[in-house]
Amino acid sequence: MLAVADLTLLRGGNRLVESFSHAFAAGNVHVVLGPNGAGKSTLLLALAGMIKAESGDVNVVIRGAAARSVASCSRQTLSQLMAWQGDLPSAEFGLTVGQRLLLAAGDSPDEMRLCAAVDAMDIEGLQHRDMAALSSGERQRVELAAIMQRDVPIWLLDEPTSHLDLRHQAAALAMLRREAERGRLIVTVLHDLLQASSIADEVLLLDGSGRVEAGAAKTLLTSQRASELFGLPVHVCTDGKGQPCLLPEFIGGNHETA
Amino acid sequence: MKNNRNIVTCLAGTALLLLISYIALGIGDQWISPFGSLSHDDALIVWQLRFPRLLTAFAVGGMLALAGAWFQVLLGNPLAEPYVLGVAGSASVGAVSALVMLPGSTIALTAGAFAGAWLGIFAVMSFARLGQNRLLLAGVVLAAFWSAVLALILALLPGRDLVVAFAWMMGDVSRGTIPSWLLLLLWGLALACGMALSRSLDALLLGPRHAEALGVDVKLLQRRLLWSASAVTALAVSAAGTIGFVGLVIPHLMRLIFGSMHRPVLIASALGGGMLLMMADSAARTVLAPVELPVGVLTALVGVPVFLYLLVKRVR
Repeated sequence: MLAVADLTLLRGGNRLVESFSHAFAAGNVHVVLGPNGAGKSTLLLALAGMIKAESGDVNVVIRGAAARSVASCSRQTLSQLMAWQGDLPSAEFGLTVGQRLLLAAGDSPDEMRLCAAVDAMDIEGLQHRDMAALSSGERQRVELAAIMQRDVPIWLLDEPTSHLDLRHQAAALAMLRREAERGRLIVTVLHDLLQASSIADEVLLLDGSGRVEAGAAKTLLTSQRASELFGLPVHVCTDGKGQPCLLPEFIGGNHETA
Repeated sequence: MKNNRNIVTCLAGTALLLLISYIALGIGDQWISPFGSLSHDDALIVWQLRFPRLLTAFAVGGMLALAGAWFQVLLGNPLAEPYVLGVAGSASVGAVSALVMLPGSTIALTAGAFAGAWLGIFAVMSFARLGQNRLLLAGVVLAAFWSAVLALILALLPGRDLVVAFAWMMGDVSRGTIPSWLLLLLWGLALACGMALSRSLDALLLGPRHAEALGVDVKLLQRRLLWSASAVTALAVSAAGTIGFVGLVIPHLMRLIFGSMHRPVLIASALGGGMLLMMADSAARTVLAPVELPVGVLTALVGVPVFLYLLVKRVR
């Protein structure tokens, strides 16, 4: 479990997150939503212990062990507790896909895990290619396969589906759902409300004012709340299986006052 | 399969090293086969003059290639290199300043080169915020600046000697300011440091954040890299002046052959940089014999086209 206590995050003088306390439960997918610049990535970096919080604390609580503050853990220790994935990594130096995956796997690569990831992310046949020669969608699939090599309790993902086509978005979301069911704690930033409503157990809504609203997706992801957050009309529809889903009105809505 | 390939590579590398050494020992204004029965004079030329010079060229070349590989991963830019970043130039200014103030002291010379290298790194790193390509631009402009400062100091020296000036600005491995055996030892030490860091360096290829997430203490690694790269640059410069582009061409070539992982790339660069500079020095001694060209002229003739090629490839 990840416990955040009284967390305040600044960036460029703006209080993006103010006195935020929350407990992230293992086995759930937590989706971070909000407009550009609201502090989603900053929050994720703070959870990963990669940036200093202005105040407050982030603690990792793994079953049967004492709570550990991310600020006081070494990078080595943290890397065994959590994995983080942000922008596509540098492809300047001609790493191949296979080498990229081995870097994620670390000292003891697990052959089965590797094959499963290659299969799930549909990157068979890319293994010997130079990362720089791939499209951004392909590179993102490699990154997802890379995080699948990280058998750690917590995954923090920053827009893991931003470059993917529909089919691979579905594959990525299904993979995250499976991993959560196996007990992994997943926090992911997403922009797509359809994706968010289909996968989120919990959501965190950031509007950049410092307030973070966290709670069950079912109660928080309403048409009114989503409309306010993004500043355009969002309707609740029913998908083919009778589940509610959110549909933004891209054209024609009154975007300023909705 | 993979083991076989490794053995073949090692054998080929050793054979190449021996061949280049053989030629470098033999070649000169007159060919002396190092394995024949040598007259007293010939033995003197081969073992007292050419051999130490060969060792110096090897160690300096290897260190420059290692420094290049380190700067590249540190800055996340495959075009970075001591000469291009202006660090070799500033080390040279430091060394010559020390030479003026405390003539004849190798320790002062090396200390001066260290101080200069640090100044150069500090200068170029203060532009790092501007992004990769501007960092390089700043480096190139700073290199021109250090070169001008160096020329100024040399011009102000009493009894100024163009050959000495040339040696500092374009490199010369025959000066013997630092004994060649010591350089070879330091070369080995530098390679060992590089190997100890190689796993973390591999992770850093993905970028600092990604390396951090994989458990690398990136700040500490960057500090170590800065220290090692500037120390090695300072040593190479104190021994042989500014020699450009070895640190660019060799790591690039080795990545093409061995892939990106640092274990093979660093070993191959340390050896390959040495071999390149041995060849360049042999050529510098012979093409216009008995006139000796500064060895940096030859490395620049090879290095600048490679740099431009990589620059174009990157922008595309």
